[in-house]
Amino acid sequence: MKELSVVGKSTKRVDTSAKATGEALFTADLSLPRMLVAKVKRSPHAHARILRVDTSGAERLPGVRAVVTSGDSTGEKWGVFRYTQDQAFLPSDKVRFIGEEVAAVAAVDEDTAAAALDLITVEYEELPAVFTIDEAMKPGAVLIHEHNPGNINVHVKIDVGDVGKGFAASYYVREDTFSAPEESYFQTEPYAVVAQFDNSGNLDIWMPNAGPHLKAKPLSNLLKMPLNKVRVRKITIGGAFGGRSEISPADVICALLARKARQPVKITYTREENSIATRQAHSMTTTIKTGVDREGRVLSRDITCHMDGGAYSSTGPIATSVPFLCMEQAYRMENVRYNGYRVFTNKPIRGMFRTHGRAFACGIDLQLDLIGSELGIDPVTMRLRNARQAGDYTPTRSLVPSCGMTETIEKTAEQAGWKEKWGKLPPFHGIGIGCNSVQTGFPMGIRGGSTAFIKFNEDGGATVISGVVDNGQGNENMIVQIAAEELGLLPEDIQIITADTEVTPSDPGSYSMCETFIGGNAVRLAAIDAKEKLFQVAARALEAKPGELTARDRRIFVKGEPERSIPVGRVIRMALSKGQSIAGEGSYWPKVDPRREWVENPFGQLSETFSFGTTMVEVKVDPETGLVDVLEAWASQDVGFALNPKVIEGQFEGGVTMGGQGGMLTEYHIWDGGRLLNPTQLEYRLPLAPDMPKINSIIVESNDPTGPYGAKEAGMSVAMSAAQAYVSAICNAIGAPIKEYPITPDKIVKALEEKKKKA
Amino acid sequence: MRLPLFQCLSPRSTKEALEILDRYKGRVKIIAGGTDIINRLRQRLLSPQYAMTLKGVSDLRGIKRKKGHFLISAATTLREIVESPDIAGFAAAIAESAGLVAAPPIRNVATVGGNLLQNTRCLYYNQSELVRKAAPPCLKQGGKSCAALKGGTRCFSVYQGDLAPSLIAFDARVVLKKAGLARTIPVLDLFSRNGRHPLTIGDDEILTDIIVPIPKGAYGSSYQKLRLRSGLEYPLVSSSVFLSLSKEGVIDRARVVVGAVGPAPTVVEGAAAFLVGKRPAEADVEKAAESAFSASRPIDNLALPGSYRRKMVKVFTKRAIEGALLSLRKAGA
Amino acid sequence: MEKHRVTLRVNGEAYDLLTYPHRTLLEVLREDLHLTGAKESCGEGACGSCTVLLDGAPVRSCLLLAIEAEGREITTIEGLAAGGKLHPLQEAFVEHHAIQCGFCTPGMILTAKALLDATPEPTEEEIRRALSGNICRCTGYAKIVDAVKAASAGGRKSG
Repeated sequence: MKELSVVGKSTKRVDTSAKATGEALFTADLSLPRMLVAKVKRSPHAHARILRVDTSGAERLPGVRAVVTSGDSTGEKWGVFRYTQDQAFLPSDKVRFIGEEVAAVAAVDEDTAAAALDLITVEYEELPAVFTIDEAMKPGAVLIHEHNPGNINVHVKIDVGDVGKGFAASYYVREDTFSAPEESYFQTEPYAVVAQFDNSGNLDIWMPNAGPHLKAKPLSNLLKMPLNKVRVRKITIGGAFGGRSEISPADVICALLARKARQPVKITYTREENSIATRQAHSMTTTIKTGVDREGRVLSRDITCHMDGGAYSSTGPIATSVPFLCMEQAYRMENVRYNGYRVFTNKPIRGMFRTHGRAFACGIDLQLDLIGSELGIDPVTMRLRNARQAGDYTPTRSLVPSCGMTETIEKTAEQAGWKEKWGKLPPFHGIGIGCNSVQTGFPMGIRGGSTAFIKFNEDGGATVISGVVDNGQGNENMIVQIAAEELGLLPEDIQIITADTEVTPSDPGSYSMCETFIGGNAVRLAAIDAKEKLFQVAARALEAKPGELTARDRRIFVKGEPERSIPVGRVIRMALSKGQSIAGEGSYWPKVDPRREWVENPFGQLSETFSFGTTMVEVKVDPETGLVDVLEAWASQDVGFALNPKVIEGQFEGGVTMGGQGGMLTEYHIWDGGRLLNPTQLEYRLPLAPDMPKINSIIVESNDPTGPYGAKEAGMSVAMSAAQAYVSAICNAIGAPIKEYPITPDKIVKALEEKKKKA
Repeated sequence: MRLPLFQCLSPRSTKEALEILDRYKGRVKIIAGGTDIINRLRQRLLSPQYAMTLKGVSDLRGIKRKKGHFLISAATTLREIVESPDIAGFAAAIAESAGLVAAPPIRNVATVGGNLLQNTRCLYYNQSELVRKAAPPCLKQGGKSCAALKGGTRCFSVYQGDLAPSLIAFDARVVLKKAGLARTIPVLDLFSRNGRHPLTIGDDEILTDIIVPIPKGAYGSSYQKLRLRSGLEYPLVSSSVFLSLSKEGVIDRARVVVGAVGPAPTVVEGAAAFLVGKRPAEADVEKAAESAFSASRPIDNLALPGSYRRKMVKVFTKRAIEGALLSLRKAGA
Repeated sequence: MEKHRVTLRVNGEAYDLLTYPHRTLLEVLREDLHLTGAKESCGEGACGSCTVLLDGAPVRSCLLLAIEAEGREITTIEGLAAGGKLHPLQEAFVEHHAIQCGFCTPGMILTAKALLDATPEPTEEEIRRALSGNICRCTGYAKIVDAVKAASAGGRKSG
């Protein structure tokens, strides 16, 4: 690889100055002429038939411009997959969770909209409701969806090898059950939508999203409009973490109101609505049975997982599979069986969350610690002996082209001082490890590829047009770095047009950890395409062959002879003067198995490559109170190649905070039946600055053969391995396993009391 | 989410404020710092016709050192309490309490009066309408039974103010004024111990001042608070302890006050027996803390189980007694 | 229901407004003055995204009525950059990658500014405690602390 001048450096991000000055506009900051304010009327019942909706009072209120109910929608049901289409936005038949959308109002101001909501009367016939997996699966329980007996939404079944034989051959077998309630995303930006129709029936719509193209198609279906009239516009987005990938009822409702009122409409969600009416993480119970040989190598694993999916399918098949897939990528095992059940309950809808299933991931890793303890093998050795290696195939038959798992374990152990600390820490001090792996995307059919265009200005600047979306992680900057690198320009020469479905070509979106690998590759290919055309023209001017040229610092020159050079701008003008325009186009479609399907055929290449990571954490527990003081964290990930090291460190640090500190110490939802009792930041405890330990980021690079510059992904793996490390460290500190998460102080006090009793 | 509509009055003096309270008796709510009431307005837990902001009332602020006591005017901010060398020097637990409230930006506007007069809280009560309206109203909302302890007929909502336990430990008093009348009562008597109507202040009264007596001789105090993180939270339990020493070096007064276990701060009368009459080194901290445990019966209406919080009453009382003993030692006793 | 006439001094300029008394300072800043840097994230004063400086001290603008802010000096994020030049804190946040999604950033920077104005060379502990009321979901606070250190007197001395 040639020496890099822009990629691989921690250049300043292109989007952050505007955020530092407050100029950057998020959806709720938008103001359009004559814009109306909308509010949504929500069901107070967890499960009820809708008998009558009377909006006449609202419609008569001065200042109300439009009211919508189920009659205004097409009645079509939404579902991520054709076989999971079960949600009618603004349903006409029944409501299935407290907070479900039933009607909406657009008015001249928020006070009027709120008053109008009170004037809408809805008659319900309450139905029995189920709020836990056990209640939902009980024989005779009320069915939330008629075609799902036992309220089972999805059953993912994977059976590889011979699990029974593997157990029979095992030296030691153990089974443990782990559980955790829901988490919530708490993106700092609450959900909001602004929609506007023009006189030609074109829809402009803005909302925080993890893939504008994934919003446009369902909007097109649900509004019965051709895709070219549905324009999901670029907007600054305040975090996603997995919760903003799908079309939302608010999107459709806002558009319907805008169309009816013939004025732009804005909906802003309260924090409560953001927690209740978007998505949550799944609560889950996981039973893991693992058999190992004398050296702690896993021979066989049998896992059963029940996940509470809430009232509708959402990304059910994906969410039910990902926890298993992360594990099968991270660790070698010949024989494995997985039964994953996603169960409907009358609770808000669950989707994919950055730490995919803490009860699953932490269970797998804590169990490795416990097994190791029985065999006299320390946790690090247990991980090393089971770690995925490059060239392996996962049990569901994905080839792993690059893998730095072992390196992440070794480097983290070294920097954390594992050898000096393990077993030697003072009482109630602990150190722990977690390992995981993340896929870079998955098969997405016709939406699985990304295309980018590049156009030039006559003075040598360029604009990259790409569907890649930035939720705050730095994807826009990635595009600029890559384009600048390949074109030999400086970052300030590159403008970008991104995430706008009218202008930018399709891209799979950021939620499946594939923007760098797929979107970044597309930009790189587009830049290479443009560069080749530039080199053709430059070669003639420099009297050299195109293959002898290279580009850097705004000049194209002959390799090894920097005096033989020509500015990029001049090359463009030379081409233009000859009637030749230069533009670049590139597409990247990951090499995945298109026949792979989550439920029907969960085999074949899942994504083209995978990232791997290890986190270690050192903690001190106050045995009287159960409060945990996290002393230091070491987060490591094989990112393939670090396109921007400081950006990646930011992902590691955020991952430790969300997955570890919050996810394992304080974050969980509290319920009263179907009512969420902690939907806001006061009672849903997010980590604060003084809570956080020193975080050491250890970037490992395995130089993936097909990632852009060898890069893979960097956003999710640390969140998961940090969660696992926190559990491992705390259980080490108190000398007792805890299998219910998060590990709030009462659980530690209880575990210590029980340990004392047993002694 | 917008606040409900109300008309707002902005008096410029305590006298004016009292006139407004008299004129709009029962129809007006006071906004001091606003950090408690604004949220409850937004949640539609109350919807008064009038609000009266004290932000323009300059004669309601200030910490004055008088003969034998401090006079803290009610609209003094928590930040002013934290930054007052006098309070830190003479009433450590009160300064500690103030410094543990929420976070610095809240303390910049929150007032001592507002903190003291905050309403009781409960996971099932302090919710927006979206959550509250999905269940029958609980006792505190005027309904028939408790939502936390299903079917219960007593309200267990929790008084979570940080200042009150320490003020009570110092035997502080408050001055309550209404048109033409002023009365002074111990802080403890502000509390009815009834979660539905937890405060005894009349809806036509303003709390104007807090009187903190400066104890004589050697004394120490400490406030300990249970919270899961390093800021932003109300106490899950708390304990404030005041100990003073006689000239002979024996504990002659002990106040142990537990907070956040029920609708009012609890003075643990039984604890004194294990502390009073003993030299500091002989204080039976364990038994005193145990009596705090016995006197407390929190239920499952906050974030962590009542059983755990009850155990923590003992732990945090122990730590508060030890903190008070330490500050006694530091005072040269 | 009557509107109140109120004059708000924001970033050194006086604005004459007519507004209902129940409107918060946050709403008036965003909707009437189009200063959208201050944001709503929690609706209850718990997160700090709505932070503005009131006479130099960080406060939750979602917990203040607009009419209560009359007569005070209000500083929003839009008032920090002087003449197009970024405030050292803004520079430091960009330089040190202390910004990811950016939603908490205005509140975070203003709170940090108030800290540095009062304590020009804060320790790391003091920085974290000063920011303990500002929630960030993206960064884990690590680089925010780095940026504040760098912008502090000590940080600028050592370059």
